[in-house]
Amino acid sequence: MNKNKEQLLNKRYKAEQRFRLYGLSAIFMALLFLTIFIFKIFSTGYSAFQKTWLIVPVTFDAELMMLDQNPSKQDLQDADYYDIALKSMADLDPNANEDQENELKRMVSYFFEKEIKNELLNDPNLIGKTKEVYLTASDDLDQVFKGNYPRDLPEDQRRVSDYQLKIFDQLVANGKVESKFNISFFTNADSREAELAGIASSFMGSIFSILVCLMIAFPVAVLAAIYLEEFAPKNRFTDFIEVNINNLAAVPSIVFGLLGLGVLLAIFQLPRSTPLVGGITLSLMTLPTIIIAARASLKAVPPSIREAALAMGASRMQTTMHHTVPLSMPGTLSGTIIGLAQALGETAPLILIGMVAFVNTIPGSPMDPAASLPVQIYIWAESAERGFVEKVSACIMVLLGFLIIMNLFAQIIRHKFEKKWS
Amino acid sequence: MIKIKAKDVDVFYGKKQALFNISLDIEENQVTALIGPSGCGKSTFLRCLNRMNDVIDICSVKGEILINDFNINDKSCDVVRLREKIGMVFQKPNPFPKTLYENVSYGPTIHGMAQSKQEMDEIVETSLKKAALWEEVKDRLHEPGTGLSGGQQQRLCIARAISVRPEVILMDEPCSALDPIATAQIEELIDELKKEHTIIIVTHSMAQAARVSQNTGFFHLGQLIEHGSTDKIFKNPDNKKTQDYITGRFG
Repeated sequence: MNKNKEQLLNKRYKAEQRFRLYGLSAIFMALLFLTIFIFKIFSTGYSAFQKTWLIVPVTFDAELMMLDQNPSKQDLQDADYYDIALKSMADLDPNANEDQENELKRMVSYFFEKEIKNELLNDPNLIGKTKEVYLTASDDLDQVFKGNYPRDLPEDQRRVSDYQLKIFDQLVANGKVESKFNISFFTNADSREAELAGIASSFMGSIFSILVCLMIAFPVAVLAAIYLEEFAPKNRFTDFIEVNINNLAAVPSIVFGLLGLGVLLAIFQLPRSTPLVGGITLSLMTLPTIIIAARASLKAVPPSIREAALAMGASRMQTTMHHTVPLSMPGTLSGTIIGLAQALGETAPLILIGMVAFVNTIPGSPMDPAASLPVQIYIWAESAERGFVEKVSACIMVLLGFLIIMNLFAQIIRHKFEKKWS
Repeated sequence: MIKIKAKDVDVFYGKKQALFNISLDIEENQVTALIGPSGCGKSTFLRCLNRMNDVIDICSVKGEILINDFNINDKSCDVVRLREKIGMVFQKPNPFPKTLYENVSYGPTIHGMAQSKQEMDEIVETSLKKAALWEEVKDRLHEPGTGLSGGQQQRLCIARAISVRPEVILMDEPCSALDPIATAQIEELIDELKKEHTIIIVTHSMAQAARVSQNTGFFHLGQLIEHGSTDKIFKNPDNKKTQDYITGRFG
């Protein structure tokens, strides 16, 4: 009898130990996946924050630029920089033939003419002189310099020719190649050229979309939640509404995209590809999330507070506005932020309403065409060029950073302002 | 003088009847205790008097309750005005999670009872003094009311209730969550308050009913079995059930 009991007890302890082990291994697995994911993103993406520059001597020849004596500012603006730009690249190899000169030109971005122009605009005294100018290297050479390029492939399978590599290696040996922090990744809009592409347009697009989404979803959701929780009678009709709000939260986001396409674009004729439409579509998606969070936090306010206010002769409206709603705000706000973070990472509905379009301008308002960060990731991930691989990871890093900050903010609000009920 | 006159009050929760034909007169400036076993309907009756049952969707009240000869169940009765006249203190202390000052000034603010900051300060001070809390908290009026001890919180709730100078104060087991010392303080307070207010108190403690009340009503299974002066109910009840309950044979 006694022995039996002891066996049983042992069995129970063992079962508990096993259970703990299962739990620990589950957590370990989750952490492992997360670590692999983050490691992969960082190891591919960190190099996108560096940009390779070629230092090329440029002679600002007034004749080639078609400039007269004592040119005005406007003259400098209108001058022709293409020839001196071409010439300075060709001069890298004095023995180059015409084909090779063309290859030399392709070692820098097509922006090189503009970079040379800016140099002169900054210092007009350079006319007639020679100065070493920093030119953005082409995305392929950028990858070569970062060591990401398969140099040992046969030449006909590479986009960089042996000749370009030879000249590039000479430049590296002479210290004429430099790597600097990639500011243009944050200040440029999207571009077909990987070396010039940046996230400014999609970042602003995301910000505008989220703001539009917040301004629509928050007031509507909070009012709906307050009405349902504090004023609506409990009957079949309100039950029906409640069930449907929960259903709405489970609707796949692409369906909202179709709704945006069919209603906002087709019927209301709102401008395509804009954060305005994106924000409205996302707000439909965020609405149920915020309603559910707001209702939960209204429910969490103890009924005794409502009774206290009502018994003091406060009207229902006063009870709600003076006591219940302020007390529920921390929960509502953190729910809102989490809903917005979800919306921020949403891609499918935005693709449908045309925010996937190639936008090479930075939007100044929600009415201007823009991309958004997740859509930008999608666009770049689709591109064939090697230079975009690291850009994808870098953009994911920016998006993740954004999301982490938002979630952190939600946590802080919850912990700092939530009342503890004894 | 009779302050409140209940006539044939029935209360239903959905289809279930909770109170049957309650008729009870409540004397002005006296303490009336409502006693009875759990679930007998004494709290439900108390909540009829300031129409707090309105909050519960499925609850319906029938019959007449006359306060100053005015039927509060009448459609013309405004609950906000009614609750200004009839304050309530609940079982568990429920101060607002705001400062002490805001707790007491809330009622006067929403009813527009003070014209200036000075007047409000005065109301807060007198209310807290009447609730015997002033000496303990006068230096920390702007600290949260939830930081007080249980007994202090309950006195704060009493101060909040009397801040609008109600004619009647309803107390729903105000001491059930308190220790004996805090209970004694509240009981003393009730004795003081009855000079200016009519008090109706629901209590589980028969000793408390005997100590603080002048009149007692005994509820059982939704019916008012017996009511009369506390002396008579406790010493010489007419009904056998009352006798059994008071002597502790059931309940």
